[in-house]
Amino acid sequence: MIGLVLRGLSTRKLRSALTAIAILLGVTMISGTLVLTDQIDRAFVQIFQQGNSKIDVVVKQKPPFKDPQTEVFLNAELVTAVRAADGVQLAEPFIQVQGYVIVDGEPMDQTGGAPSFVFSSVSEELNPYSPIEGRLPTASGEIAIAKEIATKSKAKVGQAVTLATQDGIKPVKIVGIVQYGDGTTSLGGSTTVLAPLIDVQNWWSLQGKASYIYAKAKDGVSDDQLKANVRAALPQTDVIVQTGKEDADEQASVLNDLIGKIIRYALLAFAGVAVLVGAFIIYNTFSITVAQRTREFAMLRTIGASRRQILGTVVGEAFIIGSVASIIGIGLGLVFAWGLNKLFGAIGFGLPATGLILSWQTVVVALAVGVGITVLASIFPALRATKIAPIAALREGVTLPVGRFQKLTPALAIIIAVLGAAGMVFGLVSEADTTSRLLTLAGGAILIFVAVAMLARFIVRPVVGVLSVPITKVAGGVGKLASENAARNPARTAVTAAALMIGIGLVVFVTIFVGGLRESFTGAIDNSLKSDVTVTARGFGGSLPAGVLDAVKAVPGVETASPVGGTAAQVDGQTFALIGVDLATITDVYAFDWNDGSDEAVQSLGTDKALVEDAIATTLKLATGDSFTVQAISGESATFTVAGTYTDPTILNGFVVDQAALKPLLQSNATGLNTVFVTETPDSNPDTVQAALDEALKGYPTAQVQSNAQQKEEVASSVNTILVIFYALLALSVMISLFGIVNTLVLSIFERTREIGMLRSVGTTRRQLRAMIRWEAVITSIIGGVLGVLLGIMFGWAVCKGLESEGLSFVFPTVQIVIFLVLSIVAGIVAAILPARRAAKLDVLEALQYE
Amino acid sequence: MSTEITSTPSAVATDAVVVATDVSKIYGEGDSEVRALDGVSVSFPKGQLAAVMGPSGSGKSTLMHILAGLDQPTSGSVLVDGTELAGLNDQKLTLLRRDKIGFVFQFFNLLPMLTAKENIELPMKIAGTAPDPEWEATLVEATGLGTRLTHKPAELSGGQQQRVAVARALLSKPAVIFGDEPTGNLDSKTSSEVLALLRRAVDEFGQTVIMVTHDASAAAIADRTLFLRDGKIVRDAGHLSAGEILDTIKTLE
Repeated sequence: MIGLVLRGLSTRKLRSALTAIAILLGVTMISGTLVLTDQIDRAFVQIFQQGNSKIDVVVKQKPPFKDPQTEVFLNAELVTAVRAADGVQLAEPFIQVQGYVIVDGEPMDQTGGAPSFVFSSVSEELNPYSPIEGRLPTASGEIAIAKEIATKSKAKVGQAVTLATQDGIKPVKIVGIVQYGDGTTSLGGSTTVLAPLIDVQNWWSLQGKASYIYAKAKDGVSDDQLKANVRAALPQTDVIVQTGKEDADEQASVLNDLIGKIIRYALLAFAGVAVLVGAFIIYNTFSITVAQRTREFAMLRTIGASRRQILGTVVGEAFIIGSVASIIGIGLGLVFAWGLNKLFGAIGFGLPATGLILSWQTVVVALAVGVGITVLASIFPALRATKIAPIAALREGVTLPVGRFQKLTPALAIIIAVLGAAGMVFGLVSEADTTSRLLTLAGGAILIFVAVAMLARFIVRPVVGVLSVPITKVAGGVGKLASENAARNPARTAVTAAALMIGIGLVVFVTIFVGGLRESFTGAIDNSLKSDVTVTARGFGGSLPAGVLDAVKAVPGVETASPVGGTAAQVDGQTFALIGVDLATITDVYAFDWNDGSDEAVQSLGTDKALVEDAIATTLKLATGDSFTVQAISGESATFTVAGTYTDPTILNGFVVDQAALKPLLQSNATGLNTVFVTETPDSNPDTVQAALDEALKGYPTAQVQSNAQQKEEVASSVNTILVIFYALLALSVMISLFGIVNTLVLSIFERTREIGMLRSVGTTRRQLRAMIRWEAVITSIIGGVLGVLLGIMFGWAVCKGLESEGLSFVFPTVQIVIFLVLSIVAGIVAAILPARRAAKLDVLEALQYE
Repeated sequence: MSTEITSTPSAVATDAVVVATDVSKIYGEGDSEVRALDGVSVSFPKGQLAAVMGPSGSGKSTLMHILAGLDQPTSGSVLVDGTELAGLNDQKLTLLRRDKIGFVFQFFNLLPMLTAKENIELPMKIAGTAPDPEWEATLVEATGLGTRLTHKPAELSGGQQQRVAVARALLSKPAVIFGDEPTGNLDSKTSSEVLALLRRAVDEFGQTVIMVTHDASAAAIADRTLFLRDGKIVRDAGHLSAGEILDTIKTLE
C-alpha cells in the first residue's frame, strides 16, 4: 500500500507540491521561531556566563518584589564584610547604569531596543572586559569604550569626549578600548562604556551604592564554599548571595523572559495561524482529490481492499506529504531564523547572536505539528473515501456519497460558533490571568473561523448570484460561466475562500486593534493633557536630573511647569505605579476624568491621601474613604486613604499622591522626577518656547522636549512599526491561502478537462478561457475577503469593547478595508495565473478524449 | 434456433461456484416500487463461461452486482464458493472479494500511475500476498503483454488495458470472475483479443467467468447464455451463435 501511495503522489506532482507548500510554510515559521529563540536564549546565557567567568560569588540586593523596569542597588559598604569572609581573595563593588558617550557631538547610543550601558570598571581579575588598546579607567574623568563604539565613532585612545549621565554631560577622556570576553560574543545592539566606580556613583546619584559586589575565591576554595562563607558573613536578609554561574543563569533567564519568550510566543501565534490556514487547504485538497478518485477507490474495494486500507491510502498520502513538507520546512526554518535575525538588526533591535541551533525539540515539535496537522486535516476526507461503495466502480458518473456528518454540518457549525463566541467573551471579561485569557480568546476566534468556514458554503450561491451580474457585464459569457463554475461546488469554493478569510480577517483585526491602541494614546493626549510641551527622560528606566525642573521654569514663555515622578509599588501582591505630582499645579496641566472626586480634592490631598485610577480601584475593590498600604520597590511602605477615583488607563495610570508623600518611598538614586508637563503663556510662540527649552536643557542629554503633536507622532510611528511587523507575519498566511486557491483551481481544471476541450472546440479562445479561470479565482477571493473583513471587524470591535477600560477604542478603518478588499481581488488574479495557463494550454483534441 | 430451456437445478449442482436462490431486489416502496430482480434462481458450475444478456433495465447488472456481493438482495440467498453472502459485514465481504472474486470492468479501471505489471499484481499487493511467479509468467504469456509490462495504462491501447485487467482478475486464481461489459468500450478487433483471453482462461485454466454484456459477439463465446427481462430469467441456453443470440434478443424486445 505504501508503494501505491508513493506512486500516486508522484503522478500528482503539482497537486502534491501545492498541498505540501500549504503546510510547509507554517512549519518553516514554527521551526524558524524555535531556532531563533533558542539562539537568543543561548546568546543570553553565553553573555552572562562570559560576564561572570572571572567572578566566583555575586552579592546583590533582594527587592521586596520584582519589577523588570527597576534596577535595585545595595549598600556598597557591604564589600568590607565580604572581604572579611573566609576564602575571599578579592571583592569589589560594581554598578551598571544607562548612559552613553558623545564623540564629536554624535551620541553613541542605541535608538532601538538594546540598552546603552555604563559599567563601573572593576579590576582586571574580575572584569569581563579586557583592554585591546590602552588600559582600564582608574582615575576620575577616565573612560574606556567598547570596540564596537570605537569602530563606529573612530574615537581614539587619548581623545577627549563627553559622557551623557543622569547628572548632565561630563567631560571625560578615553584611556582604553575594550572587548567583551574573548571578543567573539556579540552583545546585540547594546553599547558599553566603562568608567571608574566613583564617577558612576556621583553622576548617577548612587553615592555609597552598588549594583553588585563581586568576589573572587582564593585558590582551592570552591564557588559553593565561598558562597557559604560570604553568606555567613552577611546576615542581612535583604541581600542575595549567589555563585557567579547562578547569577548568570538567573540574569539570562530574566532577560529571556523579557525578550526571547515574547518573541517566541508572538511568532508562534502567527505560525499557528499559518498552520491553521494550511490545515484548511489540506482538508480541501484531500476532499477534492478523494471525490475525483471515487472510481479508483471503488475499484480498489472491488478487488479486495478493505475500508481500513482505503483510509490508509489517503492518510498515508497525507502522512508522506506532511513529513516531506515538515522536513523541508525545518530546513527553511533555519533560513527564516537567519533572515529574522538580520531583519531585527536592520530595524535597530539587534539581537545577540550565536550560531544557528537546531535542537531536537525543534525538530520534534515541527515534525509533530507538520505531520499531525496534515494527517488530521486529511481524516475527514479519508473517512468519506472509505464510504465509497465498491459498486461505484461499475457505474458511470458516480459522486461521493453524502456523509452522515455532512448533514449535521449546520447544526455542528452553530454549536462551534457558540462555543467560539463564549470563548471570546470569557477571554475578554474574565478575571483569570492574561495567558489563559489570551488563549481562550484565540481559541474562541479559531472556533469562529472554523464555524464560518463550515457555514460559508451556504452563502456561496447567493453571493455568486449577486457577483455574477457585474462580472457578466464586464466579462460577458465567460463571466457567466465563471460564476456558474464557482457556484458548482459551493463547499469547495467556501473552504478555499475560508483559508483566505482567516488571513484577511486577522489583518483587519490587527489594523483595528493597533488603531485602537494608537487612538488610546493620542486620545489620552488630546483629552487629558492641558499642557503644551512635555519633558521626559529618553530611553528606559528614565529619571530626570532634579535640575531639569528649575531649568524648565526659567525658560521665558513657560507659564506652568508641573513635575511628575513615580516608582513601582505593590498593593496586595500586585504591582502598580505610585505617581507623585505637584498638588498646586497638576490640575493646570492635566485634566482628571473624575468618577468620584473633583479638582478641589487634589489641593487637599496632603501626604496621606491618594487618588486611584478607576480600573485599579475596581481590581483592589477600593472606594473613596478606604485605606490601603503600598510597598515601594525601595522596601519602604506607606498607607493612604482614597480621596477620589478617576479614569486614565494611559498617562497617570496608578495611584496619584503628593510628591512629598512619594519622596520617602523612593530608592536613594531616584530623583522622583520623570516628567515635566509644561504650559506656555498665551502670548508666546510655541516654536520659540520649545527651542528655548531645548537650549535650556542642553546640559541634560537624557531630557527630551516634545510638543503634544510630536508625542502623538512618536506613538503613531511606533504603532506603525508594530503594524508593519504584524502585516508581514500575516502576509505568510495570506500567501498560503493563495496556494489554496491555486490548488483548488488546478484540481477543478483537471476534473473539467473534457469540458474545457468542449469549450475550446466550440470556439472559446485561450484568452477567454484564461479570463474564465481568473474570474473564478476572483469570485473565490472576494468571498474570502468579504468574510474576512466582516469577521475582522467583529473581532476588532469585540476586543476594543472588551478592553475599553484599558483605553482601547474602536475606530472603523474604512480606507484600509477598501485596500484589503482590492488586495484580495488582486490576490485572486495572481492565484489564477498558473491554473489559467495550464487550462489554456490543453490540447483540444486530447482534452475531449480525456477519460 | 433452439428454444428449449436448459434447466439447471441449482441446489443439486455440487460443483456450483455461484448459486443464487430466489433472489429478489426491490427498489422503492408502494406505487414507486421497482422489481429489479424477481425471484431469480440460478447456479453457475465451475469452469463455465456464462454470458448474461438482456435489454436495459432487465436486471442483468443488478443480478451481477448481487452475485458479486457488491449489492444486497431484498430477499433470497447467494452462495459464492460455498459462502452465504447474506448477513456478511463489510469486512467479510471485502475479504471474500479479495480471495474469491475477480472483476473485469467496462472502463478497465486501471490505476494510471502504476505500470501494467504493477496493475496486474495490485490485488495481491492489497491482500499482502506474493503472486506465484510461474502463474504470473503464464498469464503474461497468455495476455501477450510481455513487452508492455513496464508501460503505464496511458501508453497502452484499450485492448491491451483490458487484457491487463483480465490478468489482474486471474492472478489470484479467484473462484469466479465477473465481467461488466468487458468489451463495451472496445472496438471489434481488440474486443476479440479480450474475449479470446477470457475463453482461454476458462478452457486452459479452468476459471469460472460470468459476464454481463450487450454484445452478441461477446456472448457467442460463452458456454451458456442467460437472458433476463423484467427481473426474471426468460431463457437459459447453452452455447449460442451470435445470430441465435440476436434472434432471441429480438423476441425479448
